[in-house]
Amino acid sequence: MKKAIFALSLLLIVGALLAGQSGVTLKALFYSPELTDQYNDMAKAYKAATGNTLDITVLQDDYKTVLSARLNSGDIPDIFMSSAYADNAAYKDYDYDLTGQDFIKQLEPTALTGVTVDGEVTGYPFLVQSHSFIYNKKLFADAGITTLPRTIGEYEAACEKLQAKGIQPFATGFKEWWVFPQTAWQVLASIKDSYGGDYAKFVAQLDSGALKFKDIKQMSDVFDMLDLIKKYGGPKPLESDFNDQCASFAAGKVAMIHQGNWAEDSIKKSNPNIDIGYLLGPTGGSAAKAGIMFDSNQTIRIAKDGPNRAAAVAWLKWLTTSDYGKSWIPEKINQLSPIIGAKASSATLAKETVSLLAKGTPSYPWFYQRFPAGAEQGLGTILQGYSAGQTDRKQTLDQLDALYTKLASAAQ
Amino acid sequence: MISAASKKRLARALDFIALTAPAVIVILVFVELPFLMSVAYSFTKWNGLDKVPQFIGLANYRELFTDDPDMAHAFVFTIAFTVLMVVLTNVVAMLLAVVLAGGIKGRNALRAAFYVPNIISLIIIGYVWRFIFSKGFDSFLDFTHAGVFGLSWLGDGRLAFVSVLAVSVWQSIGFYLVIYIAGLQTVPRDVIEASLLDGAGSATRLWRITLPMIMPSVTVCVFYSLSNALKSFDVIFSLTSGGPGTATTSIALDIYKTAFGASRFGYGSAKSVLLFLLILTVTLFQVTAFKRREVEA
Repeated sequence: MKKAIFALSLLLIVGALLAGQSGVTLKALFYSPELTDQYNDMAKAYKAATGNTLDITVLQDDYKTVLSARLNSGDIPDIFMSSAYADNAAYKDYDYDLTGQDFIKQLEPTALTGVTVDGEVTGYPFLVQSHSFIYNKKLFADAGITTLPRTIGEYEAACEKLQAKGIQPFATGFKEWWVFPQTAWQVLASIKDSYGGDYAKFVAQLDSGALKFKDIKQMSDVFDMLDLIKKYGGPKPLESDFNDQCASFAAGKVAMIHQGNWAEDSIKKSNPNIDIGYLLGPTGGSAAKAGIMFDSNQTIRIAKDGPNRAAAVAWLKWLTTSDYGKSWIPEKINQLSPIIGAKASSATLAKETVSLLAKGTPSYPWFYQRFPAGAEQGLGTILQGYSAGQTDRKQTLDQLDALYTKLASAAQ
Repeated sequence: MISAASKKRLARALDFIALTAPAVIVILVFVELPFLMSVAYSFTKWNGLDKVPQFIGLANYRELFTDDPDMAHAFVFTIAFTVLMVVLTNVVAMLLAVVLAGGIKGRNALRAAFYVPNIISLIIIGYVWRFIFSKGFDSFLDFTHAGVFGLSWLGDGRLAFVSVLAVSVWQSIGFYLVIYIAGLQTVPRDVIEASLLDGAGSATRLWRITLPMIMPSVTVCVFYSLSNALKSFDVIFSLTSGGPGTATTSIALDIYKTAFGASRFGYGSAKSVLLFLLILTVTLFQVTAFKRREVEA
């Protein structure tokens, strides 16, 4: 009996060793835990196709903390994620230049703008996402709203109609600092028109201090929009978080939330039959400019000093060129893929994004990602303080300017 | 030739070194070394990722003292929070201890009930209360129509301060309760009996006998509540994330936001050095002051 157990455990150990030896094990550190099932499904398909193992750790809140700690301590993951734009500089010591790779040519050029620095492709844009106001079509019809709002005034009129029917217009999401930059800066999106269509020039002016938030005329629209959402955002507007937004919206309690297509999964999970769509976000004071925010921000980076760099690059190639890889984002993740000629996603908001773009509706990139590192959270917190009534508009503008100056100088 | 006495002394010294060395080494490697590194980083500009931090001398400290309204706000918050925490936790814990050390019914169950929050993870406590304050209070409001449940306990800056304070007091009280109960049990019976013979009432007894006798417990409890309140982070982080705006941002949370939110590790280190000095000064002062008041039976 003892011998049998010994033999069995020996067999198990040898088996485990053999299993471990076949192929390379790539270590990946990812965020967006809502995609965990999809990540694992992809890892399984990759293992089946190549024999290589993809060992994925998925984190959310403390992602950046853990990533910095691992990079600093030498426990470098072969593959990691970050934002595009300002993060290109932050990870410059760690990411592998993908410029020469032939699979990069199979990605939409617009998706590459965010990761390209001086002609060098610093990362792999893997998801294309959009955000704006999401609305419940049935509630809008119930309230008799036939023309969809496109200016702040029209939004206010729609809110009044909804409220008259006893429907709460917004769930704010104002407990999350990250909801503020998305909501607020969308109102500034059309500012590129004053800079020849080039956000880089606008941000450079802010960085150098030549332009201050208090001198930007459209900031009053930003405040108007935040005030409007707060006014029509229920009795406790500062306590609504992302979960509350999705839950109240899915339950048909509120008519609108400012969120992105990543919220669709949570909404549809609690209410699969809900009929939703995008509203165009007001910007520049004219209905013709109203649009959605559309960009590829979530970026996969290959570690320059990772132990399995070549295998990691080969994985990206597999993700771009294999049949599974091409269908992974549109079919499994159900969002938009940056791969040229990829299948369309069946998700409502992804489809709506594509059809809006096809109609020539204005779409704006996530220009605020060009702000210096830390601006998203820092400026978001200041705007949250404004919405909580802690600062008035003038104080808020002064705070935004003071913090921006600091972050810009810290980023140099 | 070594005398027997000095041999014995040597053996004791070796015992002492052998027994303390593991702890000393662990503390050196995991506490002191990181602390010294953080002091070194406080003189640099470093985003936590660049391989070479840039030495900038005292610039971080200059910014800290002259040009950081967030830090100033966090400082004021932390001081106000600490004062209220120390007073509330100690007064409430001591009163509860007096009640629970007496012969009331079900005191063991009550002791357990007060202690349980102390062994639950602070992050979990934060999320539980976050739920109670939002969804829970909504249901209470529907049920009772009491206006107090309709207030935005986490969304209004002033109320958020009260909420954070209340949860922190509720959470930490069990720990101090245990120390005070233990302290009360060390008060010698004969002193109390003597005071009864002298005709002291229960209030006089508490004030004149019990309190001076449990002064060592008070010293310990005030020390812990002081340093914990000055470092408070977890409950605030999970309950309000320091918000709305910066209304409930403590110094520790501000350090976290500076380092991990704004990627300014050098500047964050400078702030943490300041927090260390603050805690050191305040607690040293407190311990010396309280030690003087301790008496022996």
